[in-house]
Amino acid sequence: MSTVENVGTLPRLGRLGWAFLPVAVAAAVLALLPPIWFGDSPFTTSLAVQALVFASYGVGFNLIFGSTNQLFLCVGALAGVGGYGAGILANETSLPMLAGVVVGTLSAALVGGLLSWIAVRRSLGIIFTGIVTLVFSLGFANLLLGQRDLTGSETGLIVEGVPDRLGDDTVGGYYLFAGLLVAFLIIFRVLQLSHIGWAFRALRDDEVAAELAGVDVARYRIYAATVGSAMIGLTGALLAYSAGFISPATYSFDRVDVRVLVMVAFGGLGTLLGPLIGAGVFAIVDEQLTASLELREVLYGVFVIAIFLFFRRGVVQAIVSLYERVFGAGEPPKPPALQASRE
Amino acid sequence: MRAVILDGLVLGLAFGLLGVGMTLVYGLAGVINLAYGQIVVFAAIVISLLMEDGMSTLLAAVLGVLAAAGLSALLDLTLMRPVYREHGEERTLLGLLLTLGAAFVIAGVLTWRYPDGALYIFVDGDPISVIGVPMAVGSLWASAMALVAAVVLLLFFGATTFGRGVRSVIQDEIGARLVGINPSFVRTVIFAVSGALAGVVAIAQSMSGPLTVNAGFELTTFALIVAVVGGLGSVAGAFLAGVLLGVVNALSAHYIGQYITTIILLSAAALTILIRPRGLLGR
Repeated sequence: MSTVENVGTLPRLGRLGWAFLPVAVAAAVLALLPPIWFGDSPFTTSLAVQALVFASYGVGFNLIFGSTNQLFLCVGALAGVGGYGAGILANETSLPMLAGVVVGTLSAALVGGLLSWIAVRRSLGIIFTGIVTLVFSLGFANLLLGQRDLTGSETGLIVEGVPDRLGDDTVGGYYLFAGLLVAFLIIFRVLQLSHIGWAFRALRDDEVAAELAGVDVARYRIYAATVGSAMIGLTGALLAYSAGFISPATYSFDRVDVRVLVMVAFGGLGTLLGPLIGAGVFAIVDEQLTASLELREVLYGVFVIAIFLFFRRGVVQAIVSLYERVFGAGEPPKPPALQASRE
Repeated sequence: MRAVILDGLVLGLAFGLLGVGMTLVYGLAGVINLAYGQIVVFAAIVISLLMEDGMSTLLAAVLGVLAAAGLSALLDLTLMRPVYREHGEERTLLGLLLTLGAAFVIAGVLTWRYPDGALYIFVDGDPISVIGVPMAVGSLWASAMALVAAVVLLLFFGATTFGRGVRSVIQDEIGARLVGINPSFVRTVIFAVSGALAGVVAIAQSMSGPLTVNAGFELTTFALIVAVVGGLGSVAGAFLAGVLLGVVNALSAHYIGQYITTIILLSAAALTILIRPRGLLGR
């Protein structure tokens, strides 16, 4: 948010322009990547699509955890609600893809909103929210395995009714997810700039003070969880169609949640472009480490530890402060905050 | 029916130990150790390697327990140091994230080096009849070990000066410091005790079936469920919850089905948090 504060004196239009500049730059880079980088290699395209999917999950997670301190350890499960919702609907009925996507998104939004409502009503705190959502993730995974008739269990589910040009290794699929991500970024920034963003910052900085100042903490938490879960569910549903095949592993806790957590934390919790930067960096790491899944697991563990020990406000932020310290511009570095950057 | 309940009790005692190992560390250090299941697996792999080298089962088991205790204490001395500088929720959250990272590192290294690693301790002998139900000798050994571990723990906390010191730190860290107890030393010891319990769980589990290198995450989950249902921080609660959930698990797996069983156990944890957050016996 530093852009907004720094240019507070500029005219209103300019201020808005500045606020959306990062989104525009990100959109331009994403639009130009296919022709200049991977052209028509299906392998690289599917890696890029994977990164975009994770960046999109990341924006949703960022809205829930980064903005309102609700530790949702069920990103994979929410995406799975969206994906399986869409996939089962597509296979059991002959409704078009759009209907599946809408149903999947709404189901995920409902589940996420409900989880948040429960957490808020029982005033669970960050840890118990984490445990309850983790328990939900594991329960959901078991449900997928148990309901063999509907979900195909471990063998997975082939999702029919997919337009060819939207496949996850085609340029069409790439632009579908790039467009989705840019839309999420715009929503994220609009929320940040609106009164909702002020409420988010207030409740994240000091919940009690925010409540005393008249911010309805419970309501804004549920808002954030519902919108964030809808984003995650929509991404999961589109992924189901685009990949044409889903299995419990597509949405499992260790495949999705841990990666999303690492990526978002790497890029900077609560920041606009954090998820995108994190997903981009980890796409490259993944590409280098395709040979050994175990080593990748070790590396992810090391990253989690290193990030939360040394770069709590994100690696990007750390580089920016280093730059500022070396070149003497800007404010002195602030003490690290574990929860979300307050910039 | 009787056989199912007895099986449940055997499982429940192992669950109880798992839960105690988790709950002790939370009660004392405010950390939910998500690497706990991986420490169990680490002990199992160490024991299986030593046994492959021709060491006697008993000696290998003892060394495995010590290795697990050492790894756990090492976690406390290195990774957990920055965690203790935080307080309250901040501390628990940082501990949760760092131990999650540690879990991935341990699991990754173990599956990378020993992809087929597994521990199975076969106990020879004819089944022994308990209230009319023939029980495998391995299961009885496992239960006996769990019970002994439980009694030793209770005596440790109830009757030794150091054990009382530990309880005083749980109740009031500053007060304990004032009467000359060093909380950070106590924490290291409790991490080691929790690691040793993980080793005992590894041995007990591998007596009724092979414990594979991939079991870590599931074990952590069970430990977490048991600790939450028993009341985070309550040792007796964790034992009680472990035994209860073990019996529920066996009954439900026998009469309903395995997938539903896991969901029932998870729901038990979720409902505990929602209805009675301090658990069965929590303060």
